[in-house]
Amino acid sequence: MDSVGYVSPFVPPEWIAAHGLRPAWLTLDGREADLPEGARRGTCPFAAALIVEALSGSAAGALVLATSCDQMRYAAAYLDAHCRVPTFLLNVPSTWQTPQSRRLYREELDRLGGFLAARGGRPPMPERLAATLLRYDEHRAAALRARPAMPAGQWSRTLIALRSDLATLPEVKASPAAGIPLALVGGPQPAGDARLLERVERAGGRIVLDASEGGERTLPAPFDRRRLAADPLDELVRAYFDTIPDAFRRPNTRLYEWLAHHLAARGVRGILFRRYLFCDLWNAELHRLRRQSGLPVLALDLAAGDDRETDRSLGRIEAFLETLTL
Amino acid sequence: MTPPRRISLDDWDRRYAELRRAGLREPAYGGDLRRHVTEGDTRLLRLKLDNSPAALRLWNFLLSEEDRLRHARREGNILVGVLKDLGTVPVMAYALPSVVAFYPDGAWWLPCIMEHSTALLETADSLGVDDSFCPVRAMLGAFVCQSHFPIPDLLICSTGATCDDLSAIAQRLEGLGHPVFWWEIPHRRPPDAGEPSVALPGIFRAPRRQVDFVRAELERVRALLEDRTGKPLSVAALAAGIRRANRVRALLSRLRRRAFTATPAPLPALEMLIAEMLAIHFCSDQDECIAVLGALLEEVDRRIAAGIGPLRHDAVRVFWVNPIPDGVAPLEALARTALADPMAGSPLERAERICRDAARFGAEALVISRIPGASHCALEGALIGHTVRRRLGLPVVEIEVPPVADSLEPGLRTRLEALVETVRSVRLPTSMGPGGLQ
Repeated sequence: MDSVGYVSPFVPPEWIAAHGLRPAWLTLDGREADLPEGARRGTCPFAAALIVEALSGSAAGALVLATSCDQMRYAAAYLDAHCRVPTFLLNVPSTWQTPQSRRLYREELDRLGGFLAARGGRPPMPERLAATLLRYDEHRAAALRARPAMPAGQWSRTLIALRSDLATLPEVKASPAAGIPLALVGGPQPAGDARLLERVERAGGRIVLDASEGGERTLPAPFDRRRLAADPLDELVRAYFDTIPDAFRRPNTRLYEWLAHHLAARGVRGILFRRYLFCDLWNAELHRLRRQSGLPVLALDLAAGDDRETDRSLGRIEAFLETLTL
Repeated sequence: MTPPRRISLDDWDRRYAELRRAGLREPAYGGDLRRHVTEGDTRLLRLKLDNSPAALRLWNFLLSEEDRLRHARREGNILVGVLKDLGTVPVMAYALPSVVAFYPDGAWWLPCIMEHSTALLETADSLGVDDSFCPVRAMLGAFVCQSHFPIPDLLICSTGATCDDLSAIAQRLEGLGHPVFWWEIPHRRPPDAGEPSVALPGIFRAPRRQVDFVRAELERVRALLEDRTGKPLSVAALAAGIRRANRVRALLSRLRRRAFTATPAPLPALEMLIAEMLAIHFCSDQDECIAVLGALLEEVDRRIAAGIGPLRHDAVRVFWVNPIPDGVAPLEALARTALADPMAGSPLERAERICRDAARFGAEALVISRIPGASHCALEGALIGHTVRRRLGLPVVEIEVPPVADSLEPGLRTRLEALVETVRSVRLPTSMGPGGLQ
């Protein structure tokens, strides 16, 4: 079975799996310096890592990117010109208030279905689609119930499995140590983040809310069984397009509504804000996040695959935690 | 006829006095250029400007826009601030009486023309929008300072496949209490096999359903404008608005064709650049915009007929401005135009269009001028450069120019001179076509 790699939470893994292909949420550990010289300056490290991974041929049999940011749109074009891995660019409207935006997203899922069929997938009958959706939904529900007992690194690996083929879901082994409750907010996490999160916990913090790009913020809403039976694709659209809050959506008020609710519900005392250089969408939100959350926020700049950056970040996190214990 | 030259502001003081003595007639916003320096536009002191009365009118028209907007407010007009879309919503707005549209994102150039005396970028910095963003962040400072353009009564921003810098900053404006009406431009994609499609202005095609989508979005914009003005925006009024916009674009098209293909070049690049800008937003007065461009075209025609120009040769690369299609329903026409925006589609398509224009105008080299901090520039520049080298075999140089580039000028100059020398070194005596670099 061929794997289909993706990095956007608006690409439903259920849709890929229902076509008989293997969805793979890519965690990137590329090296920015490997990007060709002419394309390096101004490219966000995450997009650069994606390009490097795709050019190496190790990412997946096919890629699905989304139009939710400039860097990914242009990365798709770059891959179109330089890479043999088939790439599909999913148009995810940034507006969400109108029926036509929702319809456009649904049409795009249809087009994605055509792309998957051309890669050896089989268009699913409604019953098979509904069954696949339910399977993912049940795993997500079980994982969310188990989340409070998971250390951050394990939760991070669980989220990756939930967005992939569900085959590598880790078992819950131990309760996390007590610590200062923190939230992780921002863009996608690089592959090395699990290690960083474990070190945060050793330093006395505890990630109680993962609102990064691959975190629980972007998990779809639970499926409604009745609507699922009536029109599984429409229910898929509802669960993803209608409910996932993100920085790129216009307006992005729902992001702050979601954060306000979950930061309070989890008793968060400080926010680790993960951002990539040249990621305008998240960088612009930092100031607003500080103001609206009323919580201390530590901004952590990211360069994928840069261990020295991770070490520097850890030092800053330790200092941040010390201020929160005062 | 006075020989065409690029002259300093000091020279323009003398030239203006001459023109006045010779009976120069000017519109209400006319006058000497020196007064703009007094008002803060100190960059003028460092520029070389074309010495024609048409260029004087052009500069005065451009530099008096803020006065025009304040006057429009005093007169009771509704000010519509249009963000990002390159010339779509202004056509709709100007189809209504008592509405004036302008682009607040045009504030990007204030730190340049006013040479950092505005504190706009510093204000944006203080709000967390630092120089990792493109110069359009000056707009955020302008909204906070409220010392440049009047705050619009309505803000309409295109989003989707546009520009993250602007979208993120517009979102911050909303957070600061300036409500934004968002409408979507989807990423333009090539039609799938067998999928119904539509020809767009220029060289692109788009799927029928994408055009329908944008048309529906523009219907929302229309409903908003009608609601805020209390006046219907009829099909007839829209069609008339498109015809007026097309007059502007037709003038610009002729101007470009004439200016870019004549030898010697009849107009300097700076004035051409400003003419391009006018065609997008009309500088807050559509009728006067037509008059200004018309005067410029007449000057160009005169110079071409006389075989004179301010430069020996000129080969400036300027992107095409799309005409709005006639003969189709107005909103359909505007939807096609919006989708034809090069930024809405793949940069590979944009590169194709640049190749076409570069070949058409006889360009011998390509300068890719990147916008610092702009999220779309990094990979786009690499793709355009790659395509142009492969398709046309032209030498390409990529530069990055911040809003105030004085300290970088020596380095930029060296790179551009090297490019010109490269062209000269490979040029055969017979190959110097129209528009060739010298």
